[in-house]
Amino acid sequence: MSSSTVKPGSNAKPTAECCSAGRTRVSAFMWFAGSIRLFLSTLREIFDESAYARFLARHSISSCPNAYAAFLCEHGAAKARRPKCC
Amino acid sequence: MWLVVAAFCAYALGYRFYSKFVSAKVLALDAQRATPAERLEDGRDFVPTNKWVVFGHHFAAIAGPGPLVGPVLAAQFGYLPGTLWILAGAVFGGCVQDFVILLFSVRRDGRSLTEMAREEIGIVGGFVAYAAVISIIVILLGAGALIVVNALKSSPWGVFTIAMTIPIALLMGFYLRHLRPGKVLEISFLGFILVMLAIWGGQWVSQTPTVAPWFTLTAPALAIVIIIYGFAASALPVWLLLAPRDYLSTFVKLGTIGLLALGIIVMRPTLHMPPLTRFVDGSGPIFAGKIFPFAFITIACGAISGFHSLISSGTTPKLIRREPETRMVGYGAMMAESMVAIMATIACCVLQPGVYFAINSPAGIVGQLPESAAATISSWGFPVTAAGMHALAQAVGEQTLFNRTGGAPAFAVGMAHIFSSSLGGQAVMAIWYHFAIMFEALFILTVLDAGTRVGRFMVQDALGHIWKPLGRTSWYPSILATSALIVAAWGSFLWQGVKDPLGGINSLWPLFGICNQLLATVALCVATTIIVKMGKARFSPVTLVPLIWLVAVTFTASWHKIFDPSPRIGFLAHARQLASSATPTHEISRLILNDRLDAAVAGVLVCMVALILLESISVWASVVSGRMQARVREAPFVPTRFAAEEQG
Repeated sequence: MSSSTVKPGSNAKPTAECCSAGRTRVSAFMWFAGSIRLFLSTLREIFDESAYARFLARHSISSCPNAYAAFLCEHGAAKARRPKCC
Repeated sequence: MWLVVAAFCAYALGYRFYSKFVSAKVLALDAQRATPAERLEDGRDFVPTNKWVVFGHHFAAIAGPGPLVGPVLAAQFGYLPGTLWILAGAVFGGCVQDFVILLFSVRRDGRSLTEMAREEIGIVGGFVAYAAVISIIVILLGAGALIVVNALKSSPWGVFTIAMTIPIALLMGFYLRHLRPGKVLEISFLGFILVMLAIWGGQWVSQTPTVAPWFTLTAPALAIVIIIYGFAASALPVWLLLAPRDYLSTFVKLGTIGLLALGIIVMRPTLHMPPLTRFVDGSGPIFAGKIFPFAFITIACGAISGFHSLISSGTTPKLIRREPETRMVGYGAMMAESMVAIMATIACCVLQPGVYFAINSPAGIVGQLPESAAATISSWGFPVTAAGMHALAQAVGEQTLFNRTGGAPAFAVGMAHIFSSSLGGQAVMAIWYHFAIMFEALFILTVLDAGTRVGRFMVQDALGHIWKPLGRTSWYPSILATSALIVAAWGSFLWQGVKDPLGGINSLWPLFGICNQLLATVALCVATTIIVKMGKARFSPVTLVPLIWLVAVTFTASWHKIFDPSPRIGFLAHARQLASSATPTHEISRLILNDRLDAAVAGVLVCMVALILLESISVWASVVSGRMQARVREAPFVPTRFAAEEQG
C-alpha cells in the first residue's frame, strides 16, 4: 500500500516509516547476505573448490576419491607451473 | 594511524583519477569486447568469474613475503623514505604495471609475459624475459631461505612449529585425497587449528630441556635441512605436499593480513622510528648504501614488483569476465598489496629504534656480545641495553634477539607488540611472536616449494629442446636432475648467505631487489612497446616514466654492487679486501668466489636488460618514424554477450 492511498486521519506516516524501515532492513540483510556469498565464492575460488566443482560438472561425475585424483592430475599440473609471488 | 589515512587517501586519489585516466585515454578499455574467459571458456583454464572473486584470487597470488620484508629492512633510513616510495611507486608504477600487463594479456588470449615480449619486441626480448624469470626465482629462493634460517636459528620453538607444518600438510593432502575429496576450505581450517596447537606445543618444547636440543639448530644445519626439504618438495607429487601447504599458507596469510590491519586500526600504535635516520648517508648497519638507489630496490613488492607481471599474465587474465574489470583487479589488487607494505612499515617502526637495530644488525657490524652490540647501537643515538634486549627475548620465548637479520624477527616482534597490547597482554607476547614467525616462515617455505618446482619446469622446458626425454615432466631421472640443478643454484646463494659474516642479507636482498626490478623493467618495456604500437605514443610516459626511473635505479644499484670501492657495498671491493687482509684459507677463497659470482650475476642481468631496452627503443623509433608498421598482435574483436545480458 502506498502512502498516497491511505485515508486522511489514519496513521499514514508511521505506516510509511515502518514500511520504509522494513525495506531498509530487508535490503541491508540482502546486501549482507550477498556480501557473505561473494566472500565465500572468493574463498572457494582461491582454495580451488570452484575449480573442482567445474571439473565435476564438465565430466558429469560426482565427487569421490577417484574423481578428486583425476582433478588433481589435471589441475595439479597447471598449479605446479604457477609461480608464487615474492 | 595518520600513516594509514594518508595511504588510503593516496590510493583513493590514484584509483579514482590516475587509473581512470589510464583506462580511458591510454588503454581505451572496451566493455563491448569479449575477453578470452568468455571466448575460450572451457571450464578449466578459461572461466568468466565475478570481478570481486578475481580480485581476491589475484591478491592472494601476488601477496607474498616481499612486502613484509623489504619495508622492514628499508626502515633503517627512517619510516619516511620507504613510505613515500611505497605510495608513489605503487600509484604511478606498480599498479600501472600490473594493470596494463593484465589488460594486454587479456587482449592476447592470456599470453605470458615472455610470449608477449617475444611477439611484440623480438627474440632477444623473449630470451631476456625468460632468463630474468629464472634468475629472479633462484635469487628469491636463496634470499627467502636465508630469512627463514635467520628467523629459526637457535629457536627450538620456531623450528618445532615449522617442522610440524610438514606432517600437517601431509595429513591435509591425505584427507583431501581419500577422506573428504575437494573440501579444501574445511581441511585448511582444521590445518590452521593444528598449526595453532603446534605453536602452543612449541612453547612446551622450548621449555623442556630434554626435547629442546633436538630442535635447536645452528644456521648451517638449518640451511642443510631447508635444502633437503626444497629438493624433496620439488620431486614429490603436487597433491602430497605442495598443494596442501599452499592452501594452509594462503589461509594463514589472508587471516593474518586481515588481523594485522584490524590491530593497527584498533590499537593505533605510536611510531618510535624517526622519519629519517643518520643512515641516509649510506652507512646503514642492515645494508650499506644511500637512499638512492638502495631504498628503491630494497622495497620492491610493495611499490613495484616485476614478479607481479608474471601473475598478471598467468592465471588472472583467463578469469576476467569484462575488459573494464582489469582496472579494479590489476590496479586495485596492487594497491591492497601496497597497503600490506605500509602495515609492515608500521609494524617495525612501532619498535624503539634501538631495539629495531639490535635485532636487524649483523654481528659483523655490532659485535657478537650483547653488551658490545648494545654499546655500538647506543653510540649511534639509538639507546638500547643488553638487559632490555634480554628481557624482550625472554618475553617472546627466545634466547636472544641480537643479530636476527633478515627482517622477519623484527616484523614478528613489532606484530607481537601490536597484538599483545590488545589481546592477552605481555603474557601472550611469545605466542604472538611465534605466530608471526610461523606465518612468515610458512609463507616463504611455500614460495620455496612452488618456486623450486616452477624453476624445474622451466629448465625442463629448455632442456627438452636439446634432448626430448629431459623435457618430460613425468620422467623421474629428469625430475631429479633438474630439481637438483635448481636446488643447487638457490642453495649455493643460501649457503653463501649463511657463511657471510655480515649476515648475508646485505648482499642477497639487494641482488634480489635488482633482479625483481629488472623484471619490472622488462614488463614496462613490453607495455611501452605495445602502447607505442597502438598508435598512442603521446601517452607512453604512463609506462615510460616508471621505466626510466627503474632503469636509473637498477643500473645505478648494479654499478654500486659491482664496482663501489666500499667493501660493504661493492662485491669486487669486498673480494679485494678479503684477498688482501687475510691469509688465504679455503673459507676465504670461497667467500671471494661468492663475491665474484654475485658481481657476475648482477652484471649479466644488467647487460641482458640493456639488450631488451635497446631492442625496445629501436622498435619505438621505427614505429614513431614510420619505418615500421604499427601492428599489435591482439586477438580479433568479438562482441561480448555479457553486455546484452546485462541490458536485457
